[in-house]
Amino acid sequence: MSQLQARFFTENKKYAIDDVPFSIPAASEVADLSNVINKLLEARIADHKHVEFDFLVRGQFLRSSLASHMDTENISTEEVVEIEYVQKFTAPQPEECIMHDDWISSVEADSEWILTGSYDKTARIWSLEGKAVMTMAGHTDVVKDVAWVKRDGLSSLLLTASLDQTVLLWEWNSEQNKVKARHCCRGHAGSVDTIVVDPSRTKFCSGSWDKMLKIWSAVPTEEEDEVEEPNRPRKKQKTEQLGLTRTPLMTLSGHNEAVSAVLWTDAEELCSASWDHTIRLWDVETGEQKSMLTGSKVFNCISYSPLCRRLASGSTDRHVRLWDPRSKDGSLVLLSLTSHTGWVTAVRWSPSNQHQLVSGSFDNIVKLWDIRSCKAPLYDLAAHEDRVLCADWTDSGLILSGGADNKLYTYRYSAYVSDAGA
Amino acid sequence: LTSEGETVMEHLGQIEIMDVELGYSLQPVSLIALLPHAHFLLHSLSPSSCLAMCSQDIRNTVGNIPMEWYKDYPHIGYDLDGKKIFKPIRTKDELDEFLDKMENPDYWRTVHNKMTGTDLRLSDEQVDLVHRLQQGKFGDVNFNEYEPAIDFFSSEVMIHPVTNRPEDKRSFIPSLIEKEKVGKLVHAIKMGWIKPRRPKETAPKYYDLWAQEDLNTVLGRHKMHIPAPKMRLPGHEESYNPPPEYLLTEEEKLAWEQQDPEDRRVSFLPQKYSCLRAVPAFSRFIHERFERCLDLYLCPRQRKMRVNVNPEDLIPKLPKPKDLQPFPTTQSLVYRGHTSLVRSISVSPSGQWLVSGSDDCTVRFWEVSTARCLKTVEVSGAVKSVAWSPNPAVCLVAISYGETIVLLNPGLGDKFICSATDQLISSYEEPEESKEQSVQWTIAEGSDHEHGQRLILKHPKAVRQVTWHGKGDYLACVMPDDNSSLQVVIHQVSKRRTQNPFRKSKGMVQCVSFHPIRPYFFVATQRYVRVYNLIKQELTKKLMANCKWISSMAVHPGGDNVICGSYDCRLAWFDLDLSTKPYKMLRHHKKALRGVAYHKHYPLFASGSDDGSVIVCHGMVYNDLLQNPLIVPVKVLKGHTITHDLGVLDVAFHPSQPWVFSSGADGTVRLFT
Repeated sequence: MSQLQARFFTENKKYAIDDVPFSIPAASEVADLSNVINKLLEARIADHKHVEFDFLVRGQFLRSSLASHMDTENISTEEVVEIEYVQKFTAPQPEECIMHDDWISSVEADSEWILTGSYDKTARIWSLEGKAVMTMAGHTDVVKDVAWVKRDGLSSLLLTASLDQTVLLWEWNSEQNKVKARHCCRGHAGSVDTIVVDPSRTKFCSGSWDKMLKIWSAVPTEEEDEVEEPNRPRKKQKTEQLGLTRTPLMTLSGHNEAVSAVLWTDAEELCSASWDHTIRLWDVETGEQKSMLTGSKVFNCISYSPLCRRLASGSTDRHVRLWDPRSKDGSLVLLSLTSHTGWVTAVRWSPSNQHQLVSGSFDNIVKLWDIRSCKAPLYDLAAHEDRVLCADWTDSGLILSGGADNKLYTYRYSAYVSDAGA
Repeated sequence: LTSEGETVMEHLGQIEIMDVELGYSLQPVSLIALLPHAHFLLHSLSPSSCLAMCSQDIRNTVGNIPMEWYKDYPHIGYDLDGKKIFKPIRTKDELDEFLDKMENPDYWRTVHNKMTGTDLRLSDEQVDLVHRLQQGKFGDVNFNEYEPAIDFFSSEVMIHPVTNRPEDKRSFIPSLIEKEKVGKLVHAIKMGWIKPRRPKETAPKYYDLWAQEDLNTVLGRHKMHIPAPKMRLPGHEESYNPPPEYLLTEEEKLAWEQQDPEDRRVSFLPQKYSCLRAVPAFSRFIHERFERCLDLYLCPRQRKMRVNVNPEDLIPKLPKPKDLQPFPTTQSLVYRGHTSLVRSISVSPSGQWLVSGSDDCTVRFWEVSTARCLKTVEVSGAVKSVAWSPNPAVCLVAISYGETIVLLNPGLGDKFICSATDQLISSYEEPEESKEQSVQWTIAEGSDHEHGQRLILKHPKAVRQVTWHGKGDYLACVMPDDNSSLQVVIHQVSKRRTQNPFRKSKGMVQCVSFHPIRPYFFVATQRYVRVYNLIKQELTKKLMANCKWISSMAVHPGGDNVICGSYDCRLAWFDLDLSTKPYKMLRHHKKALRGVAYHKHYPLFASGSDDGSVIVCHGMVYNDLLQNPLIVPVKVLKGHTITHDLGVLDVAFHPSQPWVFSSGADGTVRLFT
């Protein structure tokens, strides 16, 4: 059996071993290498407990035997191979399954509460344990997106966007468990499909089927904005509506088709994805389009990771594509992650790990990816029985996904200790 | 005696000379004439008789004269002394002569010497000599006329000269004559009378005409060689023993003879012979050769170009489907909910909603992107046709079931538009003079109104298809009936008016369609598509579909192309600018076509069939009128299960994306992207 010269290294000081090349069998796989490292660590540290490791060769996860991996990656077996090892990501542990009355269109969770929007025209707040805390019924049509604005103490602000062309700003007192619609944001002429709150938590942006992006203030006030269109028959609606009417601060137009997703890349920059096959970057100050990335398919969702500065997009094909939004030359797909078999409807970067993202698709599967292994996902979370419509990933390591089977699944994902240090 | 002896010596000398003469000139015939000389010769040769002869010999001096002159004289001449020489006395008469001839054995060798008048008997040697002379041989026996010749002056140089003559003086002194001649030439050259010889022209008289010729032209010339026309091979008629059916009957022979030679089918009469031996010479040989020469001379000197083409090259090069993207390739969403076959689908102009009408008496409204059924409207009959108004400023869907058309406001999309639509409908004022119409317009009330129904149109017959005009005000509906003039009616929604555009039935109407831009109206009957001008109210065109029963029709958004699907598995593409016949017939489906559709923006069209498949084709229509549409089938989309022998019933394209919807007999609507 042929041998390879390999040098192991890690960024985690806890599991560091001597920086000397080892001769290892070329046919060894991940488990074999992991045993080697554990043996070395046992020799080094007295009270070492067995740890499963994962191995990276030139930034790619080792998924087959070392020899075949190096053969496919065209790495010479003559030289000393640098192998990085990291603690193996443990599989996400399913925690809760929260039943809804209808399809779950959107989910957003923070460290304590889960906010979901549903096709039964309501938005709900759940505790992490899956207990229904609050139901916000005010929309006259399907709730398409939800977002937390702010949580200071007991009162929280949250937003719900709906097919009825409005966005509602709610104030929720968690102690008294009372909710009140503070503002009704009117102005869109189509269903509001996506909302996102800016990093300063004072503004939010909404994208709609009417091809417009609108920026609104997220600060609740006691005054009602002036309505520009006096000839619009509003009498009837006023009696129906909840909260005070709010009008947009700014309207960004440029998309040729419906806007499907929007996000803030930083405080000054907005990124929107649309059915016109483009992702556009907007300057919020001037309201002008800065650059455009052109794809070939309708975009369903986008997500941006400030850690790795990459944009992940899901479109009406099987691929999750990674983009560099800073690139000026239009469409530059850095990587495409292909394993889904249906439209990718939700994609979310890990808030803590720059390599990981989660994607949900119409093939009923949520996949956890590491972009260092783009051929296959790390884990398939195949719990849903119908199409996955939304997914989220909280800072505390909770992965959530909701779908057309009326179920919201939560998974606990233990980010390993080393990652927090790194 | 001495004197005589002297004379003998003289005579002998004379004879010698004469002998030499005789050797060259004597002819056998003239022997007798020469006999006198021979007499001398005999004398000289026979020494025994020589003395006797010499004693008698008198030299006659008369010379060579005819001796007849002395016939009457006693003498025969004169001797040297001039004395008469007398004739010897002849005692022999004729009888003696005869007797002598008979008796004398030497008579034959006895000769008469006229000079002396005596008879001489020739000796054996003399006779032999006479014989030799007569044979042309030399008189001397010992003379060899064929002695070996010695070639003195041969081409070989001998060591000894033939002559020993010294060389002439002139052979080693310069010649004066030559000097004179050379001097003249030198003078002439000096004076310029003689010019130096012109150099020979270097240009060759003969050269290779084809030396510079290209090999290709040589080959080309060889290729251009026209072979002589081949002669017809003889058939049975030409046989010497033809089968009896080739032989002409009497009447035929008569007819053949009466025909002009150039009219005759055969230029000869077939004839039968018992054997090849009996066949006569070919009488028409010259004639036939002449005709052959005429054929060669008059044969067309034109090259028949044989087209040597690979049959594969004749197939037009179609671009690969890969290069024609985008087009739908995979099934993405299934819209489930209907419990019976879905007859008709329509997509809202914004592309957000989809409406489907089914045999389970419901109309469902779907969100395209999630396959969510947002609304279900129940009606009192199987829904045959649904159509979303193409006008984006109103929100209306026309639904036909039974004999009714319902205009329905689904309340989807922009709320403002929905309410404006409601207002528009409710603000209608009844005109004063209301005409009696074949169709009854009523306003929906009660629960129907709550479900979104706004206007209900009651027709006298079952409505099969509804279709909107591009502006969204006119609505055409089809009530198929074989022999009724009321098959197609056009409603105007804003005025709630109904028109019956056709007075005469031209066959059972299958479907109708408005032209997207111009005021034309397409009416498809079973076999033809008629194009009417609505303003001039006349028939503009009649398209022959070449198929048995048209099932569906779609008009290209440009308006110049129409596709027709038929129940006999064919799809006909008409280019209205080209002809009334189909520009192309596509036979890709295995079973009857039920629905065809064009995409609004992308060069795509789709057809759905009973075999459960949707075939998407790339159908590029160029603005350039010279370029014909490019039609490439790109994808077969399968997904629908075949239920009750029915597969796909309707197809529709998304207005902005390259997506196609199909509704099937299995109760589902499917989206292919």
